[in-house]
Amino acid sequence: MIETALNERSTDNHVREDRVFENGNPRTRLSAPRSVLARERAQIARAMLADCRFCAHDCGVNRLAGPNGLCHAGAKARFFSAQTEVSDELELIPTFAVALSGCDLRCDFCITGASSWNPHAGAGFDAGAVAAKARAALRNGARTIMVRGGEPTVHLPAALELVSLLPETAKLVWKTNAHGSAQARELLDGLFDVWLADFKFGNDVCAQRLAKVPGYVRVVEENLLWAAGHNELIVRHLLMPGHVECCWRPVAEWLAANLPGVKVNLRSGFWPAWHAKRHAELRRAVTTPESDRAVALAREFGLNLIP
Amino acid sequence: MKKRSLNADRKSSGEKLVSELLILPDGRILVHNLTRPFAELLAELNPDCEQIASRSSRRNEMKADITHPPSHCSDAASHASSGHELSQRT
Repeated sequence: MIETALNERSTDNHVREDRVFENGNPRTRLSAPRSVLARERAQIARAMLADCRFCAHDCGVNRLAGPNGLCHAGAKARFFSAQTEVSDELELIPTFAVALSGCDLRCDFCITGASSWNPHAGAGFDAGAVAAKARAALRNGARTIMVRGGEPTVHLPAALELVSLLPETAKLVWKTNAHGSAQARELLDGLFDVWLADFKFGNDVCAQRLAKVPGYVRVVEENLLWAAGHNELIVRHLLMPGHVECCWRPVAEWLAANLPGVKVNLRSGFWPAWHAKRHAELRRAVTTPESDRAVALAREFGLNLIP
Repeated sequence: MKKRSLNADRKSSGEKLVSELLILPDGRILVHNLTRPFAELLAELNPDCEQIASRSSRRNEMKADITHPPSHCSDAASHASSGHELSQRT
């Protein structure tokens, strides 16, 4: 039943037929108002918690029965922040950012580790109340509404419910670690205007060591290619101390080869947070020479850096 | 390194806005969850930092559509040591 519902709306063929371009960016033309589709998909997503495969860990656990997966999230979402901020990309700010607790990755340097590693952190998520705040923020000048975490993919039912309560014209941003599954992508197709996606590690060894995630690079690349074909995409890379050559260089090289012209935000404000001290090279900030080298690499590869 | 938190009153609802900053030994300031009030405060402390100025309300009103601020602060990787940098969101 779930498969049928999804296939009716967004099989590959269907999506291809309904792809349009707006301001030069691909966009899936929705067959119904966004709020209506989001509400339907939220119900589908909730049912899919019985066999959760929202992220690439592909646990297949029944989250309706409890927090059994690697993310430790149950069926109910919590959130640890919802406020208007100006620290994201200039073209997105001011953004009303909603941060859902919990994540499927275990990045030791996570700046919100206490909330991102713990899906029970924060307050219970009331989509109606948060949507009301978001609408107020829009009235007060917020340019976008951003759904993030932690990792919002973990809480797709709640995220979709929130979308169903937001104005049709609101510009929505999906801030993700790009470790979601094809199922998750189908549920999200056409609902968010911008995917703001991390490409954190340039190789699987660093990903496994620092975030305990296997097969990272292939999954992220798959998600980025999909996102670039379905919505506006901004790729974000947090420059890590000591990881310019092993992580940033291959990321930059891949982006140049596979997503030429994609907007890239290279962030050098690494903050040695959470469990960063477990790794000798992550006990400090990024140095100016490292930053300069990273920017030089970006220019060498012709990347479209945005502030 | 010294970590500080700042709560700024939200006038309309009484809720708290939360930003965090980290001051590095070399004078750089890393900012996390930057809110508009905090951006305005930092912009007053260092008016020459384009990255923060472009996020304060005054500059945003002046250059609402700016995507490529012209100065060295336009990308976080080329900051002078006295600049502010936007920290990671993971």
